[in-house]
Amino acid sequence: MSDDTLGEDAAVEQSSPATGRSLPARYVAGLIGLALLAVLPVPSLLGVESVTLFGTVTITFGLSSYQLLQVAGAFYFAMFAMSWDVVSGYTGQISFGHGFFFALGGYTSALLNLTYGVAPLAAIPAGVAVAALGGVVIGVPALRLRGPYLSLVTLVAPQVLLSVFILFSGTFGGELGLSSPDNLLGVGLGNPVLVYYIAFALFVAILAVLLAVTRSSAGAVFTAIREDEDAVAAAGLNPAKFKTFAFVLSAAVGGLAGAVLVHTPVGNPQPSQLLATQVSIEVIIAAILGGMGTIVGAAIGGLIVYLLPEYLNTVEYVVPVLDAPVSEIDFLLFAVIALVLLFVMPGGVLRAALRIARDRLSDRRGEGVAADGGRRARTPVEQVRERWRSAVERTLGRGPDRERRTTDGRRSDGRRADDRDANRGHENGGDTDEH
Amino acid sequence: MSTEPDAAGATGEGTVGYGPDDGVLVIENLTKRFGGLTAVDDLSFAVREREILGFIGPNGAGKSTTFNCVTGRYPPTSGTVWYRGEDVTGESAHEMVNSGLARTFQEFRPLHDRTVVENVAIGLVPDRLFSLAGLRGETGQRAASICRRVGLGDRLELTPDELPHAGLLRLELGRALATDPDMLLVDEPFAGLSGPEVESVSGLLRELRDEGLTLAVVDHNMRGLLSLIDRAVVINFGAKIAEGAPEEIRQDPEVQRAYLGGDL
Repeated sequence: MSDDTLGEDAAVEQSSPATGRSLPARYVAGLIGLALLAVLPVPSLLGVESVTLFGTVTITFGLSSYQLLQVAGAFYFAMFAMSWDVVSGYTGQISFGHGFFFALGGYTSALLNLTYGVAPLAAIPAGVAVAALGGVVIGVPALRLRGPYLSLVTLVAPQVLLSVFILFSGTFGGELGLSSPDNLLGVGLGNPVLVYYIAFALFVAILAVLLAVTRSSAGAVFTAIREDEDAVAAAGLNPAKFKTFAFVLSAAVGGLAGAVLVHTPVGNPQPSQLLATQVSIEVIIAAILGGMGTIVGAAIGGLIVYLLPEYLNTVEYVVPVLDAPVSEIDFLLFAVIALVLLFVMPGGVLRAALRIARDRLSDRRGEGVAADGGRRARTPVEQVRERWRSAVERTLGRGPDRERRTTDGRRSDGRRADDRDANRGHENGGDTDEH
Repeated sequence: MSTEPDAAGATGEGTVGYGPDDGVLVIENLTKRFGGLTAVDDLSFAVREREILGFIGPNGAGKSTTFNCVTGRYPPTSGTVWYRGEDVTGESAHEMVNSGLARTFQEFRPLHDRTVVENVAIGLVPDRLFSLAGLRGETGQRAASICRRVGLGDRLELTPDELPHAGLLRLELGRALATDPDMLLVDEPFAGLSGPEVESVSGLLRELRDEGLTLAVVDHNMRGLLSLIDRAVVINFGAKIAEGAPEEIRQDPEVQRAYLGGDL
């Protein structure tokens, strides 16, 4: 389903020369998944209208109206996760405050509707535009920041917005948020199947757009920026342009999801749903859990992270030692499961699944174990950690070159001295030049 | 091109008047200071069309800093850089590449997360957000042919971590060539290469020059380099101490003093 911009695919591909045949298998798996999601409400539809078209096997999948709305909510959350992934997962600029963009989209659209009576269909594009503008406001100054410093900015931005909301509670409803605006196309609680399909259609549309962008040459540049910005510049590509683009695209997509969400019965323009730090953090967990830097992984992760606690909440089994029903410790269990998954599959669920599938395939074809002497490709999380470490080291004046110079015998001749000083001078920027 | 930079430059005084049209790349009175340290001190020289210029100096002489000022990694403190008659002082790295001046990294900067051919392909991507030039198809074929050009044709699908030292150098060259440059700055290509590898890389660089490329090769080690280059500029402590043909450089007393009987 996802194309092989996934880092380790390159390494895996050598081990299986028949990758040409295994590629479509991923697409087929993805399409089957989407098809299953598409027919999910069909049994409910049949149950209501008692039409007998193909109601044989799918009966078992029958969902209640409440469950349909839950899955619809999960779609929106998955869109949030995908929007985070396109900027943070791909370019490695980690945003800790994507709720900023969800809220800009959602609140703009809701306020236009509530205050000026603008129809949702017209208010939503306005929300997207404002969110995109927010992407410019955060993304362009962020070009000057690297690694953790950018993340700090994104952590603060939603707090500023929340403070504004609280300060002007009359307009923005403060911490409690606004009342529900009109539903998109008038589709409300009475029609859960349509609520589901609106969410599903938007989910598929965003998935398609983000897959198209990230699988184009722009996606290759995004991941190259994550790996080495100087190398990207040396290839004649302007890293700032691509980073800004990723930021604005991400903000617009997140704003779109937020704007549509508030016009459905599954979401409201409230800080707790759009802006809270917890929202931003859960989005990150979802994307990393599913597979950072793959879009598809973020979509899967978003669905899991949203639905798993909901599911655990309904389990009546009582945990023996703790003597607590699962439904009461659902979030604890969810957090533990998430932790275990992150340890076991640092690259995310999607990468792990693809690797297992490939290994199975090559085993079946009788191919030996891959003898690819090279080290395992780094996961995006590891790449980001590397970026952060070097950014911090440069700030503290401990350039990575110093270490290399003393450990690398061949180059311990001091040849790197001018380099190191040059690096440090560069980081300190123009101010040292003037003295 | 004119010959007066040669004659005047050999004195080592950086006040020689260079004009924008004295070469493909002209550097005039370039100075770069980091705090109290003057890494490049009033340096002037020109690189002529289709020559292989050696840019030589002992360790810490300021070669890399000069290089980085020219390729836009950071702006010079003062001085002017002309490329093809245009003032390009302080232009950013990607702008320099797009105007035709590509570089390789001394410390090798491959993208570890992708294959050799994909590393080269990134240099073929146009600097536009929306382009129809996919990384598969045609771009992939062009990238593969560039890989063959630099001698990596049989290692397209390896990752950079699986390449030997010489292979990484070839990959750097391939990625730079993919940007379709007129001029190539090669930073310390021979460090860590064996004798035969130096020979084969030298051969490749000569071929590139014969195809119309202008090259500036930086190295602190004159072994191997003097047989490759047409002309050399030698610097020490950030200032030019000699300039001329390889034979003249070898005989130059100041150069010999700078290297203290080192590896000349």
